[in-house]
Amino acid sequence: MSLATSIGEVRTRLANRGVDWTILIWIALAAILIFIVVNPLARLVLSSFEVVDGKGYTIDNYFAAYGRWRYVQALLNTLVMGAGVAVLSALFAVPLAWACARTDMPFKNFIRISVLAAFVTPPYLGAVGWVLLAGPNSGWINRAWVALTGATEPLVNVFSLGGLILIMACNLFFFIFVFVTAALELVSTEMEDAANVLGAGAFRTAFRITLPLVYPAILGGVIVVFLQSLALFGVPALIAIPARYPVVTTQLWQFFESPVRVEVAAAYAIPLLGITISLLGLQRWLLRRKGFVVVTGKGGERRITKLGAWRLPLLGYALFVCALSVLMPMVVLVQAAFSRAWGRGFSFDNLTLSNFQFVLFEHHGARQAVFNSITYAAIAAFFAISLSLCIAYIVNRKLLRFSGVLAFLCMAPFVIPGIVLAIGFYAAYAPPPLALYGTALILILSFTTRALPISYTNSAAGIRSVHPEMEEAVRVLGGGRFTAIRRVVAPLLKRSLVGAWILVFIPTCQELSTAIFLTGPNTRVMSVLMLDFSEEGKLEQLSALGGVLLVITIAIVALGFRIVGRDFMLRRIS
Amino acid sequence: MPVLTLNGLGRAFGKVNAVDGVDLRIADGEFVSLLGPSGCGKTTTLRMIAGFIDPTSGTIEVDGKVLSSTKGSLPPEKRGMSMIFQSYAIWPNMTVGQNVAFGLTLRKLPADEIKRRIDNILGVVKMTHLIDRYPAELSGGQQQRVALARAIVVQPSVLLLDEPLSNLDANLREEMRFEIRRLHDEFKITTVYVTHDQAEAMATSDRIAVMNLGKIEQVDDPHTLYTRPRKRFVAGFIGRTNFVSGKRDGGTVRFDGFSVDADRLDGAARSGPELLYSVRPQNLRLSLGAPEGGVIAVAGEVAERTFLGEHWDYVFAVKEGGARLRVSAPAHDVHAAGTKAWLAIDPALMVPID
Amino acid sequence: MIGRMLVAALLVATWSLPAAAQLTPDAEKALYEAAKAEGSVNWYVAHYSTEIAERYGRAFTEKYPGVKVNVVRATSGVVFQRVVQELRSGPPQADVLASADISHYLELKRRGQLETYRPANSATLIEPMRRIDPDDQYHAVSFGLVVLMRRTDKVKAEDAPKAWTDLHDPRWRNQIALSHPSFSGSVTTWTAALNKAYGWSFFEKLEKNKPQIGRSLLDTNAMLKAGERTVGMALLQAAAQDQDKGEPIAPIYPTDGGVVIAGSMAIVKGAPHPNAAKLFMEYLQGEAFDRLQSQDFFEPMHEGVPSRTGLVLKNTKLLIISPEELLKAAPEVKDKWRDTFGN
Repeated sequence: MSLATSIGEVRTRLANRGVDWTILIWIALAAILIFIVVNPLARLVLSSFEVVDGKGYTIDNYFAAYGRWRYVQALLNTLVMGAGVAVLSALFAVPLAWACARTDMPFKNFIRISVLAAFVTPPYLGAVGWVLLAGPNSGWINRAWVALTGATEPLVNVFSLGGLILIMACNLFFFIFVFVTAALELVSTEMEDAANVLGAGAFRTAFRITLPLVYPAILGGVIVVFLQSLALFGVPALIAIPARYPVVTTQLWQFFESPVRVEVAAAYAIPLLGITISLLGLQRWLLRRKGFVVVTGKGGERRITKLGAWRLPLLGYALFVCALSVLMPMVVLVQAAFSRAWGRGFSFDNLTLSNFQFVLFEHHGARQAVFNSITYAAIAAFFAISLSLCIAYIVNRKLLRFSGVLAFLCMAPFVIPGIVLAIGFYAAYAPPPLALYGTALILILSFTTRALPISYTNSAAGIRSVHPEMEEAVRVLGGGRFTAIRRVVAPLLKRSLVGAWILVFIPTCQELSTAIFLTGPNTRVMSVLMLDFSEEGKLEQLSALGGVLLVITIAIVALGFRIVGRDFMLRRIS
Repeated sequence: MPVLTLNGLGRAFGKVNAVDGVDLRIADGEFVSLLGPSGCGKTTTLRMIAGFIDPTSGTIEVDGKVLSSTKGSLPPEKRGMSMIFQSYAIWPNMTVGQNVAFGLTLRKLPADEIKRRIDNILGVVKMTHLIDRYPAELSGGQQQRVALARAIVVQPSVLLLDEPLSNLDANLREEMRFEIRRLHDEFKITTVYVTHDQAEAMATSDRIAVMNLGKIEQVDDPHTLYTRPRKRFVAGFIGRTNFVSGKRDGGTVRFDGFSVDADRLDGAARSGPELLYSVRPQNLRLSLGAPEGGVIAVAGEVAERTFLGEHWDYVFAVKEGGARLRVSAPAHDVHAAGTKAWLAIDPALMVPID
Repeated sequence: MIGRMLVAALLVATWSLPAAAQLTPDAEKALYEAAKAEGSVNWYVAHYSTEIAERYGRAFTEKYPGVKVNVVRATSGVVFQRVVQELRSGPPQADVLASADISHYLELKRRGQLETYRPANSATLIEPMRRIDPDDQYHAVSFGLVVLMRRTDKVKAEDAPKAWTDLHDPRWRNQIALSHPSFSGSVTTWTAALNKAYGWSFFEKLEKNKPQIGRSLLDTNAMLKAGERTVGMALLQAAAQDQDKGEPIAPIYPTDGGVVIAGSMAIVKGAPHPNAAKLFMEYLQGEAFDRLQSQDFFEPMHEGVPSRTGLVLKNTKLLIISPEELLKAAPEVKDKWRDTFGN
């Protein structure tokens, strides 16, 4: 039914009961979204026009931000990097997703778990792993290369554009994998059978039929990866600075040094918003031209493709990707975490637990940071999911006029790089009267904002999966809307909500780019601490702390598996 | 006394009138179908009765009490009705027993009463042995029975069914339509049944309201509706028919290729000179020789034929004028295409259309 | 200022004796009580490693139970940024700010965002460290030097660079570890000092050897320890500490001069724990702390506290940049750095 129906429904209900509760809910939700999405962004845009350290408005900040070729260069560099990451991620993810979803490749579960592990590993931790692997003189790969061949030049150099792209892709290809897997599971085998009947082999079918059918998912994933890579701060801090490859996030950071120019930073961040919005617009436009209606939930059983002689080569490729993204960095990180000095290699006298002792017992900030990370992420994930669930419900059931606006606001943070969001939050809530700078609340709120798009898409998918008639059946039998929600909607959504919570919790736990601007002395989180460790060159302790973070996240993921099954990581995120 | 009354009920979505001035009185214990093509407003009407949609004009009353009006509506949960949905809407998180018990629990009945009623209704729908199953473990037909049991067990004032059989396969659909009628005969619940399938409506209903473009075209019992359709839409929608238009010329009505005395035709006297009649293919008879015995005889030839197993479907081309009429003939009545033949029309079976 | 006075003092080579008495027990007790009521002090610190800063914080709490030190360790640029952010947004979180980038203090002083306080213990310091700001808004806390270092197992002492200019030798291609002036105040000072001594061509030549550039000054030690690089710039204290721990690292005092990095500290205006901050500042200027600090290879600030580096400063050439010079040169050298090194 249409929107008009429900408005009528609402209005007359209200007339009947005298209490305008639905409007109150709308206002409450809108107020929350204005607080955590609109206001920070508005303040960001506004401050980009403010006179530095003064009153009044000016366009000068834009000239300051873009008047120098160096700054423009950093922006162009970032776009090149993002494109590279997106392409490499697709090359990693699409074959693996196809192999895991639709073929008889062996060890599919191992590959799936490795892909998940790559996602659970924070990107900056992966970067440290790669520094240990591919540092030009000291990395294990280069040492082995020099030892084996007697070469004088290193084989690989992580401090390069290529290294930057590889490290980011290793973490981010998970998104494309998830999107494409979910889409592949919906493509009916009949589509492929139709091609087989006409004489196409397994690979021809995959390339001509299956992949084009999941093209929207690939495109969506590629865009997500591209945008995420633009916004990362930790990896560029570790890799791009030594690589002498300035990017937007490192440049933004420099606008915050003495003399601090928040206004210029804000101006510099605005094009990122523009890029993101135009990309999402492009995606819409590309998808509008073709009907992709075939990808629906219906349409018969899904058979796996027999790979024949290609089983092992495909497995080899999958293992190669997993080795790059998880296995190799993990081995060296574990080695470092248990080493006195990682460079000394694998020997008994180099073995120690002191790094763990340091981060767990001696460093007074570390335990606090571990605690902060987990509690902030848990609360933020809870907030984000509750909020987006309410909104998804209202939107899907068309309870209110303009509920589409709420949905848009939930998705809007998707286009805001974390570092930009942090600037907005800072501009909006650091000054009095709220003076939230350095409080746990500002971190939790900003994390919530960051988590909204993922939790909204998950909540919306969950709500969509509950047929409205399920609720109407309750109501017609005499239960109110709240009874319906309590007795039917909530139980049906329980599993998918736990899944969504985990999917939000993991990246929030690792959040760095927002946190780095907003943490105070008592609200440090693990990611910030790790970056500090890396600054001090404490790679062993950093690895140990990373290990602690990983163990905790893996425990939570395992718990998630237990509660909801493997499905939660396969849901589409946008 | 009519239990459910729709007075000038209307519902606009934007500029479109989905339901447009529907008047309908449904008696206590009556089974009425809303029949019509998709988009005719029947589901909207049903959902207005249920309280899910508010009318933009008119009212809905039960026993003289206004439930819905443009000023406000009683929410669905306060109406004491129940409904069977197209998707069944069996709650997958509850067993069969819990599903059926749900409405009773909401009514705060004592536990032993709930148990007694559940046992009873599951017996009626032959589902007693599946009481502890979850919906995912049931077939479509079984789910449908659970939905029926769940809706009936609360003894609703009105039972609403929204295309309940459309997701079942043909055999099961036939079985369930008798099941629904049987349950109605057993419990005598006032029932509104929405369907686009005329056979379903015919098999189940006391009366059928045929809807088109948001309006009720005709409300009658199935037999009358079939034999005496009053509207062109109804005649065309229920079964197949031939429309013949004629002009009154003094005491005669001239059709395309034949004429009839006006006094032999029902309704020929009451309206203007332009007349429209419906005559069912089953009521036309083909013969090689000129027919006799008070029927209208029309000369022509067999233009096309299709054998449908139970009967022949002929197209008869009238000799004078271009009229082509469909004729249904028994399987043994074989005529080759191109055969010169006669058509016999009984004027008493020609039904005037408004 | 500090530089010039220091140089003057070094050339004279005799420290004048403390002019006044240290913090009296009564004053100390009163301050301690007030600090205890506040419970903690937030210390934003850049020029010590986390480990050392935490250790100093714990030592303070050991002496003054009930007053906890929350160490927020980051590079000086980051620390400064946070303080500025806080000050813009109302009551700050930071109590005591300590870093090696003197320009930050001048900037904050210019804005009137530092608390005026003269620690009674400042009277106990050697002359050049005493009251480095005549207005008592910022104070000396440590005396550091940026020097050269080498990886001992890969570069023999005789082969090692002896002076900064030796780094231009092509055999150090791909072997040099540097840090970034935009991410470290000490490196800004070093860049300004060498620019002053040799002009910018020093860095252009240095760039030809493709140094690896980290962020904080401690990054260079990590690069050497990892074996990524074999020579580099270093904080003397950090290199000496590593050597002391048995790492294959040794500091080299450049013949053309170590760069003086004056660690300074100040109380932020509107600090949430003003008394704890004052007590902490007293502690950091006290002799007990100086002994502790000099164990970590910082040069002593009190007469009678022995130096652990064995440097005899009066015989050593120093490259010194005054705060005013630094304030003027910093934006320029950071900018030129990015032109030359590409980031």
